[in-house]
Parts: sequence; structure tokens; C-alpha cells
Amino acid sequence: MKLEHTPVDTAREWPSGREIARLAVLLVIAALLQTTVAPHIRILGANPDFALIIIVCVALMKGSEIGAVFGFLTGVMVAIALMEPFGLSAFVFVLVGYFAGRYAETADLSAGLAPLFITFAATLVANTLFAMAQFLLERQVPIGFFLGRVLIPSLIINTLLAAPLYLVVRLWLPGAGDLRVSRAR
Amino acid sequence: MNRRRVLRRRIVVAILLLLSVAMLTLYFRESDSGIARGVQSVVLRVVAPLQNGTSRATKPFRDAWNWAGDLFGAKAENDALRNEVEQLRVGVAKELTTQAENDELRAMVKLQGDKIFPKGVRLVTGRVVARSTTAWYSTATINVGSRIGVEVYDAVVNGAGLVGRVTNVTANAAQVTLITDQQSYVDGMVMPGGAQGILSGSVTGDVTLQYVDKNEKVKVGQDVVTSGISGPKGSIFTRGIPIGVVESVGLQEVELYQSIAVRPWVDFRKLDLVQVVVR
Repeated sequence: MKLEHTPVDTAREWPSGREIARLAVLLVIAALLQTTVAPHIRILGANPDFALIIIVCVALMKGSEIGAVFGFLTGVMVAIALMEPFGLSAFVFVLVGYFAGRYAETADLSAGLAPLFITFAATLVANTLFAMAQFLLERQVPIGFFLGRVLIPSLIINTLLAAPLYLVVRLWLPGAGDLRVSRAR
Repeated sequence: MNRRRVLRRRIVVAILLLLSVAMLTLYFRESDSGIARGVQSVVLRVVAPLQNGTSRATKPFRDAWNWAGDLFGAKAENDALRNEVEQLRVGVAKELTTQAENDELRAMVKLQGDKIFPKGVRLVTGRVVARSTTAWYSTATINVGSRIGVEVYDAVVNGAGLVGRVTNVTANAAQVTLITDQQSYVDGMVMPGGAQGILSGSVTGDVTLQYVDKNEKVKVGQDVVTSGISGPKGSIFTRGIPIGVVESVGLQEVELYQSIAVRPWVDFRKLDLVQVVVR
């Protein structure tokens, strides 16, 4: 399989009712995966961040506006499901969705590296923002622990999961226009 | 036309970011019966059954994953268990000699029975339906809430020992802060001996019994249980709930207290069924 990237059409209007329904289902699945499945999967000491990867995928396919809204709603859903303070995840995921979408609208990266590259960058930014927020909330943030047990393992596992999840999300959201999946010749 | 679209995009993002900050502020400033928690409660009524279903549906896969993971750690665990058996042999011999003395002391101070939980306490069984995935929080969401009497500060246990305490509750779900969380504090004591301290979690997941008097003799392999001596309702944790075993004792001359590393009995990776101690 080969992924090819062309910029997202910025002239695209808001999604149809059918697309919104599919995005809503994806949102619930992202929240459920994040809260019930991800905690039990530990690779290299880190849990995969399904919600973040799915937000990146949606933003790459649907652009910055939908990416930001999807990120916001996913953040709220995850926080509610975990009974954590909501607003923090939403804030971080809005930024992730927006900038991943903006990347898709402007850049032209060949050879299908976009989901991997953006997921890597999004993981870096999101984890750094979460760590900063913890610091502001006066919780312990040892830098060695953050780098060795949180950031680096998360970067690896999320980046590895980005490609398969991207393909699944793309199958679920037909008509997404930025990355075309084609058979390698 | 294009400028309008750019403007709209920026306004949407700005509104979402402001909304996020507003929600975060509201959450921390309001009381437990405020709007944010009200919304959380309503949404959880819909989400909790879905989480419950997903958790049950994925359990076989989780078990398979854990089994595969355990295989890698089996050799190291085997060595550790051999050491533990040797320590337990010594412990059993000691236990037999102290049993009679223990019974006598119990009668003397009129401690109530051998049961850990006092009369009037009810154990409500619940299932873990969600877990925090960030390293910064060690929390779990369980599928029982205030509808059947669960309250904030209630202790949560499972078959192995103390799991944590309820820190947030809605009608049909509750958030449990695990003893490994960095903002968890439990009054604990080392048995036998009774050296008391405050058991605290950490961001790394390690559990430490702090503020133990440096004159107390504590040895590796001793049990750590709740002491039941503090809390806003008299005592959050009733006395004697098993917590874990002393793994190492840190004692430095310059320190006023000794710090004791504790290995919890509960395997937090495999939390599933738990019991809330409802009073």
C-alpha cells in the first residue's frame, strides 16, 4: 500500500449530515478506545493515544476547522468519561486538530508520510502541553521521567499506530480528499 | 470570499480555545454540585453503559495481551517468588510464635473482632470501566455511584488489598484515585511493629511510606496496612486493610524520618472488579 498526499481543498464547505453522523460515531469510538482499551495496552512503557491519532487523521482528511471541532469534542468526551477536569484535553486537542488540518491544507508531502509525521509532531506538542499543565497544577513533573517514560515511548508507539489507524479512518470517512491510497507498483 | 473563510476558521478556533479555558476554570472554581459536574453526570449516564459494554467486550483481548506481557516477565518473577517463599517461611515461623501474643493484646485493648471492616459497613461491588492513560493521573472510573450509596472519600478495595479512594461521584459512576497517584495520601502502618507513616503515590507509580519515625525498626518483607487514624469523616480507610509489602528501607543519618518503599499487593494493570467500602 502506498499513501500519496495532496493538499486538502480549502474551499470545502461544512460536512453533510451523513458525514457528521460518521464523524460522531468516530468520536465515540475514539473516546471509548482511549478510556477502555488504551489503558490496558502498554508498549515500551507507554499507552497508545488513540484519541490524538484519530484527531490527526480526521484533521488531515477534513481540514483545520473540522479538525479543531473534532479535537474539542473528543477532548471533552475523554475528560468526561475519565471524570477528569474537562477543558485541558479539549484545549490541547483543538490545537492538534487545527494545526494538523492547516498542514493538510497547505503542505504537499509525498510518499504518504503525512500521518506519521503529523502524529509524531502532535504527540510531541500534546505531551509537552500536558506536562506544562501538570506543572501549573502543582503536580510533580520530573524531566527524566517525562522524557524517558512518557514522551519518547509515546512518540514511538503513536507514530507506529498512525498508518494503520489512518487507513481505517479513511475507510470510515469516504470522500476524504488529501491522501489517496493506491497500490504500490 | 477566501478572506471570509480564513476569518471564520480563526474565529472558530479562537472560540473553541476560549471555551476550553472557560470550562477548565469553571471546573476548578465551582463546587461539587456545580454546572460542569452536572453536565459530566448527565453525559456519564449515557457514556458509562457504553464504557461498560466496551470494557466487557474487550476483556478477552486484554487478558490475552496481559498474558503475553506476563510471559516476558515470568523469569524475573520466578526468581522474585523464590526469594519471597524463603522470606515467607521465616514469616510463618514468626507468625506462629506471635499469634498467641497477638490474641492476648487484642483482648486487652478490646479491638473488635478479626474482621477488617466494622459493623455498619457495606461493600458495593463495581467494575472498572475506564482508566486514565496519561502518566500524570492514576485514576479509574467505576460503574457504581451515588445511586447505591457511594460517596466521595469512600475506600476502594479488591481481593488483594487497598486500591484507592473515591474522589468524584455521579449517580451511576465514580472516579477512584489509585494509591499510586501522586496526590494520593493514605495513613499506613507497618505490621508487625506498628510503625506509622503516610503512604503516598508518585508520578512514577512508586508507593512510599513517608514520615516514619527513624527509631522504628522496619524490615524488608514486612506487611503494610492502613492505620485508620485520619480523615475528615474520622477515618477514610478502616484499620487493617492490606496495602503491600516493604520493598526497601531508606534511612539516612541527616533525615528526620525514614522513607519506606512499598510494593502494593494490588496489580493495578489488571484492575477489573473492585469493592467500595460504603459507610
